[in-house]
Amino acid sequence: MTQPPHDTEETTNEKLDAQDASPTVKAIKALESYRKKEPLKIVVRFKAVGNAPIMKQNFYKINSTNRFQAVIQFLRRELGWQASEPLFTYINLAFSPAPDDTVSNLFKMFATDGHLIVNYSTTAAWG
Amino acid sequence: MAGYATTRHHPAQGGGKDRITDYHTTLFRRLTWEGTVPLEVRVDSKELPANSNRGLECYYVQAPRVSYLPLLMPEIRRYLMDVVFDEAAASNLKEEDWWFETEEGTLLKWHWPIGLIYDNHTISVSVRAAASHRPASQSLPLRIILHLVSPPTEKLMLAPSPEACKQAFMGQLKEADFIRWGNTKRITGLRKAEQDGIWESIKEHNFDEYWRIASKVTPSATPAPSVGSPGNTSMHVRPPSIDAGGVPEKDSAYTVRCVPVRIYLPDGPFIQELVPPLLEDGSPHSLYHFLSTHLPLLFPPRPNLPVSSRVNPTAQTSTDLAYALVQGVVSPPEAEIAWLGACLTGADGWLNICIGLNRT
Repeated sequence: MTQPPHDTEETTNEKLDAQDASPTVKAIKALESYRKKEPLKIVVRFKAVGNAPIMKQNFYKINSTNRFQAVIQFLRRELGWQASEPLFTYINLAFSPAPDDTVSNLFKMFATDGHLIVNYSTTAAWG
Repeated sequence: MAGYATTRHHPAQGGGKDRITDYHTTLFRRLTWEGTVPLEVRVDSKELPANSNRGLECYYVQAPRVSYLPLLMPEIRRYLMDVVFDEAAASNLKEEDWWFETEEGTLLKWHWPIGLIYDNHTISVSVRAAASHRPASQSLPLRIILHLVSPPTEKLMLAPSPEACKQAFMGQLKEADFIRWGNTKRITGLRKAEQDGIWESIKEHNFDEYWRIASKVTPSATPAPSVGSPGNTSMHVRPPSIDAGGVPEKDSAYTVRCVPVRIYLPDGPFIQELVPPLLEDGSPHSLYHFLSTHLPLLFPPRPNLPVSSRVNPTAQTSTDLAYALVQGVVSPPEAEIAWLGACLTGADGWLNICIGLNRT
C-alpha cells in the first residue's frame, strides 16, 4: 500500500460570512465544494511492455487526487529507475495522458474492470 | 455575423444541408483558429542582467489561442537579444531555464494551449472580482512574468522545449481520439509526415494545412440522419455501419461515444466526465444539461425547461451563478456539446470549458 506523495492544490481562501447567502457567496461556496472532492483509493495496475522490467507487485492503491505525474514518479521509484533513464507510460496501450491530469479523472474515463491500467515501456511504444 | 451564429441544423431542408453545415463548420473552425489573446511578457526585474535596457523589458504579442508558450519563446528571445540585453547577457541566455507565471503567481504550464491559459486567468479574475465587487478587467493583456533562472521543474512537469510540447500535444490528440471512438486508430493511422504536419501547422499557424490533416481525425458537425427526432431511443448508440465503413470523414460528432471535454474551475481543478453527444432520449446533449448535471450549485437545473426545447432564445435566466467560456466566448446554454466538440475544440481535439462567476 505504498502511496506517492500528495499534490498540494493551491486554493484561495476567501473569508466569508457563513450567514450571508448572496449569490456571490453561494457561488464561491459552490466552487469550494467542487474543489474538495473526497479522495478515493483507486487501484492502478502496472503492466510492463516490451523489455521493460517487471514489478514484483503490480496492483497498487493510489489516491484519486494524485496527478498522473505522481504516478509516474511512484513507478520510477518502484523500478529504481534513474531520472536520466527513459520511461514511457501509457493508458490502455493507447496514449500518454497529460501529466497534470488526476488519477480520479483518468479512472473515470478509462477504467478497465475496476482498474486503471498503466503500461510502461523503456522505448516509445505508441508514438 | 449574426446570420452565421447558429448551432441549429435543419434536417428538413434537404439537398443543400451538408454544404451549409460544412460552411458553418469551417467558419467556426477558422474563427477558433484565428482567435488571438493579448499578452504582456515582462522579464522578472530581479533577474534582468546588468546593463539591460530597462524600461523596454516588456514584449507585447497577440498570441494565437491554439499555440503554446514554447512556440512563442523564439520571438521573445529575439526581442530580448535585439532590444533589451547587451551581448554578454545575451550569450548567457539559456532557454531551458525559462519559465512563466502570471502576476498573481500562477505557474503557466508548457502543455496548455495559450487560449486556455488566458481563459483560465479570466475566470480566476472573475472570482476575485465577484468577491470584492470590483469590475473584472478582461480586456487588458494578460500580464505574464518571464523568469530566466531556477525553473520549478517538478511543477512545470515538462521541459520547455518544443519537442516535449509536441509529445504532450500528440498525447492529447490520441487521448481525445480514444474518448471519441474507444481506440486511437484515426491518429495512429496517419502517416508519420501527417502526424508531424499537424504540429508543424500549429508552429506555422497554417489553418489549411492543419485541417487538411485534422479533418481525418475530427468528427464532422453534421448530425447523423435522425438525430433529435423525439422518441428515437437507439440513436445514442453508435450505428454499427460506421465501424464497418471505416471512412473517418463520414464520422459525425453526434455518433461518437463521448466528446473529449474538460471543465476548468477557477483556480483549479479541472474535471473530466464521460459526455455522450446524445441523451438517453436521443436528443442532443446541450451545454446547459451538461453543466446543470455536473455543477448544479452553479447552474441550477430548470424544472420547467423541456429537454427537447432546443429552440429557446430566452433560456438565459438569472438563476445561473456562473457562465461557461469556450474559446473565450460565453457560450449559450442551448449549444450542443457535439457541435462544440466538432467546431470549437482546440488544435489538440479537446473542448475546454472554463467556468467563471457572474457578477451580481
